[in-house]
Amino acid sequence: MNADRGATTDISRSSTANTAAAWLWVDHLRGGGTTPWAAWLAAARDADDPRRGDRLLPGAQQLELVRRLNEAGRPAAALVERVLVASAPGRGRQDLELLGAVEPLAFGPPPIDPATLSADDLVRVAVGLIAEDVVGAGDPPREPVKARRWRTRYRIAGDRWLADAMRTELVAQGRPPGGRGAVAAVVGTDLATMVAHDWLASCFSDGGADWTDYCAGMRRRDRLPRRVDLAATAGRWAPELGGPDQVRVVLDPARVAKVVGVRRLVVLPDVAADAAELARRTAGALGILVTPPRRTELMRTVLRPRLAGVPGPRPVVPPEHREWLEEQARLVQRGIRAGGYPVVGDLDALRPRWPDLPAHGLAADDRQPDRVLSLALSLLLDPATGGGVDP
Amino acid sequence: MSERVLLHVGTPKTGTSYLQDVLFRNRVKLLASGITYPAERFDAHFLAALDLMKMPWGGLQAEAIGAWDELAAAVRKAPGTSIISHEILATASRSQVKRALESVGYGAGTEVHVILSVRDLVRQIPAEWQENVKHRAGLSYQDFLKRIQDPERASRIGSWFWGVQEIPDILNRWGHDLPPDHVHLVTVPPPGAPDLLWKRFSTAFGLDGLDLDLEAERVNPSLGVPEIALIRRINRRANKDLHPPDYRPLVRELLAHQTLSRRTSSPRLALPPDVHPWVQQLSESWVAEIRRRGYDVVGELDDLIGGPAVAASDYADPDRPAERQVADAAVDAIKALLLDNARLRREEERLHGELHEAHLALERSYLRPTYRLREKVVRRLERSLAGKGVLKVYRAARGRSSLSA
Repeated sequence: MNADRGATTDISRSSTANTAAAWLWVDHLRGGGTTPWAAWLAAARDADDPRRGDRLLPGAQQLELVRRLNEAGRPAAALVERVLVASAPGRGRQDLELLGAVEPLAFGPPPIDPATLSADDLVRVAVGLIAEDVVGAGDPPREPVKARRWRTRYRIAGDRWLADAMRTELVAQGRPPGGRGAVAAVVGTDLATMVAHDWLASCFSDGGADWTDYCAGMRRRDRLPRRVDLAATAGRWAPELGGPDQVRVVLDPARVAKVVGVRRLVVLPDVAADAAELARRTAGALGILVTPPRRTELMRTVLRPRLAGVPGPRPVVPPEHREWLEEQARLVQRGIRAGGYPVVGDLDALRPRWPDLPAHGLAADDRQPDRVLSLALSLLLDPATGGGVDP
Repeated sequence: MSERVLLHVGTPKTGTSYLQDVLFRNRVKLLASGITYPAERFDAHFLAALDLMKMPWGGLQAEAIGAWDELAAAVRKAPGTSIISHEILATASRSQVKRALESVGYGAGTEVHVILSVRDLVRQIPAEWQENVKHRAGLSYQDFLKRIQDPERASRIGSWFWGVQEIPDILNRWGHDLPPDHVHLVTVPPPGAPDLLWKRFSTAFGLDGLDLDLEAERVNPSLGVPEIALIRRINRRANKDLHPPDYRPLVRELLAHQTLSRRTSSPRLALPPDVHPWVQQLSESWVAEIRRRGYDVVGELDDLIGGPAVAASDYADPDRPAERQVADAAVDAIKALLLDNARLRREEERLHGELHEAHLALERSYLRPTYRLREKVVRRLERSLAGKGVLKVYRAARGRSSLSA
């Protein structure tokens, strides 16, 4: 395949003038420079830099990521050095050579002009570093809370994005779930939102499929995600707790507080689709650094707060699945009625709501990788993680 | 500290499973000869490689966390010679190679050797596609060939294939800092010399003269054309419904390895005749390059050129297999699944029997008069508010409450 690419050269021992120019570009980037490689090479083609000897140049992905960081802010020196030696986690193209920095290669992946790298190539490197930052940040300190003696006995199930956050908050207040005579609050909202919530929850735990594949998979199985099917969830809890009267299907999340015996309970806000996509990619990289339960914990306690304020629409179910989802909503409504579960709120609230969004409001459009990269850069540059300006 | 470390970094499909199996099962004997193979489980070095390269692998990566540092620490601690071996290390990036070498003592007084076992592309290309199919891939042979011929290597298939198979590039990454005589190539001989490969491994790893148990327990058998075509069809039909933890025991092990690999009379998978000239030209350029670099070669470099192309009339295309042969293989596969299902049914019946016995024993204990009396009292108390209060006090006093979560 590569036999016709040019003269045979051992890349590690090539010493052309352009290699010197490349090393000077590395220095330029280390100093905060933003000149693209092609422009730099045109200006410094015959530069001389005898210091470099046999050392290996960082890869094109790493160098371009530093340049983008410089464009986006003022990365700390330590962050720049981390980027320069960071290999992208997982499978995919390896670190690539800079086009023009070395002799034409007879072997190995072809060198590349870093400006032509896709946003996805750069995100692959960035998420590895973000994952390291997340591990480094650790959990926020939490005092162990003693369970209150006098508390309403409850279970919370249903929409896992909302329910898991509510349960965590209640536990932090000394109100662990369970106990004799507990009532299950099966939390839900409109089905389109719940499906989006289910995907958000997986993005902030194990990663999983991207939004498009997630929706396609659900449709292929012709089955709602387990926690989204509220009738089935109520059906699982009722016999365990003593019958349908021990279950409340709560279709107004703000009213869960009353069911579980507290004044108010935070309803976890949605995270924007782009932020969730970055979280999903980061979860993949984090899975190589920590065990699955620890990953979920870190994703929720460290990364989710950092991405919570990112503006943008939440993922929206693609039009081709909407009719199917509306039919599923009718089936769930029928199941809840048939089960005889008390409903808090209006059962009609289960019907999917379709926001009137422009095309770019959908999660998986062509420009999403660029937006995800931009978000990744801002996370890396966050002074809170030491990525921003040197003190 | 190890005086010498032998890093065997690939390539896949070159007898590596056999080598690792021999090293693992003989590690006590090896230790007595001053050679450490630091592994508590047969796949320890695989996990270490995943950790070094930060590579997800069907959930196994969770077991791999910290595995490279543990392995490197064991190597640094061991006296004499230590061996690390896993074929996926071939795809490590330059910075990962740097970390690997330094972590085993390179630059701190340890003599590090890199060993690469290599086989001609004429056999490696079909073998890699087959391996992809046995790992759930559904792509055709033609698509696979197209992707590996893409000069950009932008696909996952292309980047992985060349990452683990492009010998001069692997050696650039792993050997750029080492003197050429510390880089060793073990060539896989042409078919028909079953013991020769082990002799070459033995020479390269300094195992000559040791009395080792060479009986293979872990082998990775290959499939014929109709059999691999069948597995690909199964992948395409069942992949989306069959979870990865079920795929390995059912498809890869039961169907591919234990059943279909026994059908040895079916046509074998080969390189398409029209691709052969390209592969041969590439292989010749590799041989010339390796010869120029002056590495230590155990075996014959010309083994890398590979055999002649199969005649077009003899070529069996796995994308257009003989349907009668595929149907025959499918019947064998169904038979294997039926027998396995029957085994599971017997196991299920046995477990049902055990469960029934346990229920009977439980019922017998419930029928004791004291238990029935206590049950009656509790039921009566639970009917009234006062009774519930009495029960609560009793439970609190007893110090065991079922009220908590």
